[in-house]
Amino acid sequence: MAEARKSMIKIKPKKFKVGDTVKVDFIVIHPMDTGLKKNKKTGKIKPAHYIDNITFSLDGKPFTTMKVWETVSTNPYFSVNLKVPGKGKITVDYTDNMGEKNSKSKKLKPKG
Amino acid sequence: MKRRNFLKTICAASAVAAVTTPSMVLAKDAKPKGANALSYDAAVKAITGGKAVTKSDKVSLTVPEIAENGAVVPVKVNVESPMTEADHVKAIHVLATKNSNSRCADVMLTPMNGKGYFATRIKLGGTQDIVALVEMSDGTFINAAKSVKVTIGGCG
Repeated sequence: MAEARKSMIKIKPKKFKVGDTVKVDFIVIHPMDTGLKKNKKTGKIKPAHYIDNITFSLDGKPFTTMKVWETVSTNPYFSVNLKVPGKGKITVDYTDNMGEKNSKSKKLKPKG
Repeated sequence: MKRRNFLKTICAASAVAAVTTPSMVLAKDAKPKGANALSYDAAVKAITGGKAVTKSDKVSLTVPEIAENGAVVPVKVNVESPMTEADHVKAIHVLATKNSNSRCADVMLTPMNGKGYFATRIKLGGTQDIVALVEMSDGTFINAAKSVKVTIGGCG
């Protein structure tokens, strides 16, 4: 099940300069099953399935690492700040407890 | 005679059922705990290693007072800090005191972040406190807590 998950990186505000502090929002479509809920159709307990590690990096240099548990909501959203040092590429790598590995990247283009 | 026997068995069966069902229901109602279950005190101890934690105004925690749906509770943590190499926020831990796994997210920050800020959405099983435990670069721990009323739990 190595299908790529739908994910999105948003940088807020849209227009920013070098030296500004911007919000980097990361959203991913993921069930985040706790391992406690039952499947209504089959009556069996759904196994726990959640994202456990996330790394935000800029040009390969990690600036935020996260450890996350199943207590985070379905389709999780994470937001951190970044002080823009110049042009670059933001990459978010994430793994889940079932061994899925994915990544998403977005270019960072400051103006002025 | 036949009728009497029949009635007797019916009575016995219903009595047995009456005795067994409550206990069975209880067993079902007892909440199962996930593989990562960890109480709040144990989680704090694991993070701080027994160090003292002080309440501080530097940490501002933004959560809704009443959450209608426990499955999606937005949490925002802001920490006042210059975020320089010498003095920055090292980590933000988001904890929920009464969830079976009280840990929600451990966020390791660096001076590159520019601000001690983190936001996410978490699940809450019931009315409880949310705690933001912040580790500064000098090794001290500060926290802030706020209670959230949950109308419908979202953990199971």
